[in-house]
Amino acid sequence: MSEDLRLDNVQGNILRGYRSNLCHVRHLILEVTERSSARRFLGAAVSGGTAEVPRITCATGWGTLKPETCFNIGITFAGMRALGTPEAMLATFPTEYVDGMAKRALKLGDFGDSAPANWSAPFDRTDRVHLIATAYAQQPEQLDQIKAEVAKAFHVIDFRDGRTRNDANVLGPAFRGDGSPNNRSFFGHADGISQPRFKIDGYPDINSSQPTSPLGTVLLGYDTPLEGIRFRVPMSEELGKDGSFNAFRILAQDCWAFENYLTEAADALLELERVKGPQVLPAGGEKAIRPGLSRVGALREVVAAQMCGRWRNGTPVDTSPFHPLPTDDLTSATLNDFTYSGETTCPAGAHIRRVNPRDGKIVQRAANHTRRLVRRSMPYGPDFDAANPDDAPRGLLGNFIGASIGAQFEAVMCDWLNLGLHDPSITRRNDPLIGANTPETSVFDLRLMEGTPYRLRGFPRFVRTKGGAYTFLPSLRAIRFLAELPN
Amino acid sequence: MLVRSIGRGLVNWVMTGGSSIYDRLVDSLWRPDGPKPEEKRRPVHTIGTGASGFFAASDNAAHFCTAEHFQKGRTVPVSVRFSNGSGNATRHDGWSDLRGMATRFHLDDDRQAGVAADLLAITVPGFFTPTVDEFLDFAKWALPQPYLRQSPWYKFVKLLNLEQPRRNPYPRETISPDIGAEAFADRYDNTKLPVFLDASIGAPASFARAPYHAVHSFIVTGSDGARRHVRFNWQPTLGVLNKDPQQPPEDVYLERELRERLAAGPASFSLMMAIGEGGDDFNDSSRAWSFQRRRVFMGTMTIDRYADDQWTDNEHMSFNPCRLVDGIEPSDDPILHARRHLYEVSRLRRGAPLCPFARS
Amino acid sequence: MADEEGWLGRFVDNLPEQGWFKFLSNHFVVPYWVWREPKAKLPGGPRMAVQPGENLQRMMNLVMPLKDRSPIGRAKATLALGQSVDTLYAGLDNVGTIHFARFVIIENNLCMMSVYDGDFDSYVRDFIVSIGNVFDAVLVHVEGGDAVIPTKQNVEKFVDWIHDHDLFQMPDFATDLFDLQDEAQNLAANRAPHDLSSLSRALVLQLHANPNFALGSGFRSYAGYSAAQIRSTFGMGW
Repeated sequence: MSEDLRLDNVQGNILRGYRSNLCHVRHLILEVTERSSARRFLGAAVSGGTAEVPRITCATGWGTLKPETCFNIGITFAGMRALGTPEAMLATFPTEYVDGMAKRALKLGDFGDSAPANWSAPFDRTDRVHLIATAYAQQPEQLDQIKAEVAKAFHVIDFRDGRTRNDANVLGPAFRGDGSPNNRSFFGHADGISQPRFKIDGYPDINSSQPTSPLGTVLLGYDTPLEGIRFRVPMSEELGKDGSFNAFRILAQDCWAFENYLTEAADALLELERVKGPQVLPAGGEKAIRPGLSRVGALREVVAAQMCGRWRNGTPVDTSPFHPLPTDDLTSATLNDFTYSGETTCPAGAHIRRVNPRDGKIVQRAANHTRRLVRRSMPYGPDFDAANPDDAPRGLLGNFIGASIGAQFEAVMCDWLNLGLHDPSITRRNDPLIGANTPETSVFDLRLMEGTPYRLRGFPRFVRTKGGAYTFLPSLRAIRFLAELPN
Repeated sequence: MLVRSIGRGLVNWVMTGGSSIYDRLVDSLWRPDGPKPEEKRRPVHTIGTGASGFFAASDNAAHFCTAEHFQKGRTVPVSVRFSNGSGNATRHDGWSDLRGMATRFHLDDDRQAGVAADLLAITVPGFFTPTVDEFLDFAKWALPQPYLRQSPWYKFVKLLNLEQPRRNPYPRETISPDIGAEAFADRYDNTKLPVFLDASIGAPASFARAPYHAVHSFIVTGSDGARRHVRFNWQPTLGVLNKDPQQPPEDVYLERELRERLAAGPASFSLMMAIGEGGDDFNDSSRAWSFQRRRVFMGTMTIDRYADDQWTDNEHMSFNPCRLVDGIEPSDDPILHARRHLYEVSRLRRGAPLCPFARS
Repeated sequence: MADEEGWLGRFVDNLPEQGWFKFLSNHFVVPYWVWREPKAKLPGGPRMAVQPGENLQRMMNLVMPLKDRSPIGRAKATLALGQSVDTLYAGLDNVGTIHFARFVIIENNLCMMSVYDGDFDSYVRDFIVSIGNVFDAVLVHVEGGDAVIPTKQNVEKFVDWIHDHDLFQMPDFATDLFDLQDEAQNLAANRAPHDLSSLSRALVLQLHANPNFALGSGFRSYAGYSAAQIRSTFGMGW
């Protein structure tokens, strides 16, 4: 399967995260105003770069020489058209990509505050968003340099900066096996732990009990996790192969509302304990969560953990329901080698269980492991201090990569993350952490120690969509083709 | 929110030199052919009929609402007032019009001043406008105008435009709010559906053979503490039956029909409660909810007595959509809150008795 | 009495029932308006929505014209399905999101009416995986079916094809039609307000563009629950 994979034809950010040494990222949102200069730029970028044009990073292994910067591009359908892609090729792209993320809003739960009508610039004018070019660097100055180079060929409408949030005190050593530092979302949870595993020559193989995914999960032109099925390769068999699709999303996180709700829920659980004794955490269990933590503080952590499916340091709730494992003891196996078969202690509605049910029992019996997404996301905005809350914009710059937007990203969003269709005990309910919740109707069932549910209600939407776009991540061959299109 | 709306009312009262927005709203509802002020009748739903019976909660109602009349095994007496929607003082039962059914659930023995919950419903599923200001506008536009037959040539042009010509005036119909209402609906999206449904509603064969919608969202608290936004509607057990719109309308029949029907046997309605979902607008009563909402059967109302005293139990009664009890609260629907005051204004002017609000 | 109906008034009132007027309307008036105010064919299937009630028990009304419009042709299509009952049931139970499905042949159209939960595209894709060969066997007999066979290698095309053949669902509230038509023309809702009396024309013209359509989103006795929830509640397992 990976014999015919040419790593030098695949954009690098699809198959690897660059976070081992590059902890600053800048997404440049570009408009093609001058087609020929845009094409010239792409031609130079795909041919190894020049002094004035960054080089498109491909997926070939780095060996010992790690690059100082990396650069990749994604193109929206409007962008493919703006670059002059022939109509016959434009007709080969899937409907959801052609529609664009804004038109699919109701399917993705983007309504009310998250509706495209309320998206921040430049995503309020989706017809002008043509490319999202992403630069990764060790230092922010290097990002400025790349931005200046890009601005010579494109109109840089806007840009968004993200950064790695690494808290070595709380999170464990390299648990991905490749030394990349951890990332923590603003809700405090270790993020980006579980990614689809591929068998690729030259890539480190992480030992795990989780099954590997076929290459067609994330690259066009290969076998997909759906048996017997291949997705249509856009443009042409030759050009579209090794490309992928990305759902880029700006997800604003309401940390204050989240912390507030944890307190509200913990207070209610404390009340319940006074009457009925410990329900969700054994007596004295707060010590194991963190020394010196109060009972109500511990209950807050339990709620946060059950809503996510992981404790804040990444320990799966399935593995350890009452306290996180010591951070120093965390390995990639402890973090990722678990599944939801049998009597699991992880609530069915927990976030990570919704987006990846693993081997758990689900309604769509053949769909386990078929809707995986490669996630390359970075937090944006200043740190949040619960003691001094502010409403500065902060959240996640999300990249959700897969070979089919419809079969993977959209299918997860509208059937599993929201609606909970795959398990009747959570159907009609949305993901508590990032679902399209309204306080009048939201519901999440905690799992009490004896296995019975305890219903939490009234939580607001914690994550709002502030912008986004579906982009095509072309192979290097495809980029060259676009660069060499005749006028 | 109630305090806010009363506060706003006070501000308006001061700003308009003593006449609150609710006074102005009630004033705007009077028709030239409506009742005289000294008659002390209602400005709309002028003509009505009183009856009484009882309501028996379904077995599952208590799970959704802790209000007394929904508790398992509970049967409470009810008073109802059926009405024609129009403010025309002359009875024209057969003219196309929405109808009303106001229900009072008596929760203690004092039928006049005791604890009670009201549920007011009409035969269209939505109110005309989502906000009070828009309703003031609508009331101005919908002031009855001379209603004449469209000329045959004009009708012919309408047919060539694939449009429906205006219905011919009924015998003795000289003015109608329909022209103004439709002109308002032409401009305001929110009013299109209610006016469209109202225009084609026709006349029921009986008050007991029409569906009634309470229109506004309420918040019911369940036995597990869950609060849900809901909308109530009554379904006639025998089903909906309308008069044939092709036949000339009968002016006076509904009251007699009800009296005769109840003399022969009771009439009943099922109370259905739709539960709202995230994404629905709970506070816009001009939009009916989708039919794909869960509908809970909450109980059966059996009406078995025509009111002997049509003065006390019909004309002189005063219902109020915000007369609620523990377990049911109003949503933030501005029209629902405005109606609380509108009905009070009307009641005061009519000199009808005050039934104390069990919850303020 | 001021309002007396003259003979001309009565004549015009009765026009819509006159045969010659109907002929005039169908052959001249409607085509004129089709030219003057064309309406785009509106897409089939339930519209995207966020409420769980809108995403459960959704209706599919798939109409597939048969190639061979003879009794033999209908028999062939029938046999192709009849021989696949086991496959169909395996697919149904394993996809898990179908409440009901039925196949009906009406006027040389093979129709599939089903009630399903969740994302349309996922439901079709899951079916391609599990019973794609049944689709292939049946599509041979359907007009335009050859373009999407074998379905396993034409996933996106087949999904789009089904969307095309799924009937447009008239909005449950008639006046919503204006918004749908505006949206299809990329106009903002109520930007140029529509006269209420033009609703009948809007309806007629839309039914010219969508001659086959579903009247509303369907009636449900126990709305709002998934197939698996019902199975689970009644102890049948899911």
